[in-house]
Amino acid sequence: MNELRTLYRHRQLIAALTSRDLKARYRGSILGYFWSLANPLLLLGVYTLVFTKFFPRFDMPAYPLFLFAGILPWTFFSAAVLESTGSISSNAGLIKKVMFPAEALPLVVVLSHLVHFVLAVPVLLAALVGFTLMKQAAVTSAVLMLPVLMLVQTVFVAGVAMVVSSTSILFRDLRDIITNLIQIGFFVTPIIYPLPESFWLRTLLRLNPMTPFAAGYQDIIYYGRMPAITDMVLMLGYAAASIVAGMFVFDRLRDTLAEAI
Amino acid sequence: MKFSPETSVPALRNVSFAIERGEAFGIIGRNGSGKSTLLKLISGILKPTSGRIVVAGRIAALIELGAGFHPEITGRENIYINGIMLGLTRREIESRFDRIVEFSGVGEFLDQPVKTYSSGMYVRLGFAVAVHVDPDLLLIDEVLSVGDEEFSAKCIAKIHEMKHRGVTLVFVTHQLDQVRELCDRALWIEKGEAVAIGDPVRVVDAYLQAVSGGAPPPGPLGVTLSEETVQAPGPPAEKPESDTLLEEERWGSGEILLKRVALVDAAGRELVALGAGTPVTIEIDVEVHTKQEDVVFGVGIFHADGTCVYGTNTEREGLVVERAEGTGRVSFVMPSLDLVAGSFRIDAAVHTKNGRAFDYRRGVLRFVVGSRIHDTGIYRPKHDWKFEGGIAFRAVDMLNRNVPGPMAEYIRSSEAEPSPEAPKYRKRRKLEEP
Repeated sequence: MNELRTLYRHRQLIAALTSRDLKARYRGSILGYFWSLANPLLLLGVYTLVFTKFFPRFDMPAYPLFLFAGILPWTFFSAAVLESTGSISSNAGLIKKVMFPAEALPLVVVLSHLVHFVLAVPVLLAALVGFTLMKQAAVTSAVLMLPVLMLVQTVFVAGVAMVVSSTSILFRDLRDIITNLIQIGFFVTPIIYPLPESFWLRTLLRLNPMTPFAAGYQDIIYYGRMPAITDMVLMLGYAAASIVAGMFVFDRLRDTLAEAI
Repeated sequence: MKFSPETSVPALRNVSFAIERGEAFGIIGRNGSGKSTLLKLISGILKPTSGRIVVAGRIAALIELGAGFHPEITGRENIYINGIMLGLTRREIESRFDRIVEFSGVGEFLDQPVKTYSSGMYVRLGFAVAVHVDPDLLLIDEVLSVGDEEFSAKCIAKIHEMKHRGVTLVFVTHQLDQVRELCDRALWIEKGEAVAIGDPVRVVDAYLQAVSGGAPPPGPLGVTLSEETVQAPGPPAEKPESDTLLEEERWGSGEILLKRVALVDAAGRELVALGAGTPVTIEIDVEVHTKQEDVVFGVGIFHADGTCVYGTNTEREGLVVERAEGTGRVSFVMPSLDLVAGSFRIDAAVHTKNGRAFDYRRGVLRFVVGSRIHDTGIYRPKHDWKFEGGIAFRAVDMLNRNVPGPMAEYIRSSEAEPSPEAPKYRKRRKLEEP
C-alpha cells in the first residue's frame, strides 16, 4: 500500500520520465515509430514463412493474424522485463545522487513498452479487418476486451519488472538468467502454435504465466470469442500475485539499492 | 553468489546534532571521512543502518548537478524533468521557467539536446534548476566551485540570498573559506566520527591544526559534540555567535602572538569611541616565538549584529611576507572610517595561507561610532546633496538637535578634527595575555 502511495505521489515524475524515454528513443531516427514495430513484424514474417511455406505444420486459416495476436503481447512482456533488469543500474546517477523513488524506474520501462504496444494495436486491428474482408477471420465484440487484457497484462508485467529490477542489483547473474528464460519462454508459450487439445499439456503450459495472456489475445482477435474462464481467472491471479510480489520484494530491497549499485 | 559484503566498515558513527531552521551548517573533514555519506543520509538517498534522522520540510540536494539530465533531449525538456525529480509540479516549473533559464545563461541552446552543451553549461543548468526549487533545506556537496568565476560568484550570491530568506543550508566542502564566511556553525568529522562542532572559524582552525600535523586536537574548543547533542531541536535559537558575546575569544597554535591590538587616532591615542569619518589605525604588536615563512595578517570589522563590515588580509591584497621574527608592529591604516553610528568589534588574526591560526583574537576590540546625523545602515559613503532648479534646501545646525549627552560633545570635537579635548574618551584597555 505504501508502494502505491509513493507511486501516486510521483505520477508526474513517472509520466515525465516515460515521455523522456520515448522522446530520447525517437529523436534522431527518422523511422522512429517504425522501429518499435519492426521487431514484431520481423518475427511475424519469419514464422509465417517457416510455418506456412517450409513446414506447413499448422493448418490454420489466417495464420499470420494468429501469430500477430500472440507476438505483440509477448514482445511487450519480454522487452519490458529484459530492459527492466538494467533499469536501476543504468540510472545509478539518479539513485545515488538524487532523492529519487527507485520504483519509478522499472515502471517507466514498462510504461514506455506499453506505449509501443498501444501504437502497434492499430496495425493489429488493420490486419484483423483485412483478414475479415478476405473471409478468413471475423471482427466480433470480443475485440472490446482488448483494453482489459492489456491493463491486466500491464499489471502483471509491472510486478515482474519490479522483482527483476531490484533483485538483479544484488544478484548480477539474474540478467543472463532472464535473457535465457525469455528465449525459452517464447517456445513454451502458445504463440506460434495454438493451445494443445490434451488436458495435461494445456495444464502444464498454463503454469507459464504468459500462456493465459497469449491465449486470451488469440481468443479475442483471432477466434473472435471471449477468453476461456480458466484463462481469465489465471490472468487475474498471475497479475495479482506478480504485483504483490513485486511490491514486497522492492520494499525489502529499496533501502539497500543506493549502496549496492 | 553473495548478497551482502563480508566485511563492512561503518561510514559514520556517534554523530548526533541538530540543525536549526535557517541555520547555515558546514561539514568539513578529510576525504573519506564520511561527509558526503552524512549529506546523503540527510537527503534520504541513503538509509542509516542504525540511528535516526528527522528532517522537516522540502529538501533540495545539490550533490551532483544535472544528475537527472538525459543527454538526448533538449535543455527545455530537461528543466521540466529535473524540476519534477526535485519535487516541483509542472505548474510550479512553468512559473519559474524564465528565471531558471535566465539564471543558467544557456540562452539560445535551450532547445538543443543537452549532449551538445559544454560541461559548464550542463552544470549551470543543473544548479539553476536546483536553486529554484525553493527548498526549506538545501544540501550542497562541493558544487560551489563549478563553472567559471562569474557563475561561481553568482552561485555564492544566490546561496547568500537563500540563507537570507531563511533557507537552512548544509554544506560539505573543502573550501574552508566558504565555511568561515557562510556558515553559522560547522561540524568536523574524522573517520566517521564527529570531532568538533560549533563556531565555524574555530572548528575550521582546529581542523587545519590537525591536518597540518601540528597541534593536538582542539583543547579549548568551546562547544563540543556531547554538549551539543543534549540540546534538543527546539524553537529557533538566536544565532549561536551573534555578537552578544562581550568576551574576547582567542585561540591558535601560538608560534606568533598578537600581544596588543589597539584602535588609535592620527595622534596615536587609543580610542573606544570615535566619530564617523575619522582617520583611524588598527595597531597590532606582534611577537614571533618561532620564525615563520608562511604568515598572513588579517583584520575584520564587525557590526554588533554580526554582519561583517569589512574583512581582509595581507594575502588577499597581494602582500607577501619577507621577514617575520622577533617583535614588530603591524598597522592597518584607514584614512577615514566611514561608518554609521553603532557598536562594532574588531577581529585580528595571524595565520598561515590556508587559514591555520597562530593567534586568532575574535572581538579583541570593541568600539562605538557616534554621529550627529541619524542616518541608518552600516556604511556611510562620502556624499553630498545637490539641489537644482525649483528645489532648494538649506542646512540647519545639527548640533542643536537631539544627540545623546556626552557623545554630542565628543562628536563636536572629533568630527571637526581630532582635538586635544577628546582625552576623556580615551581609554586604556587592560590587555590580557593568553
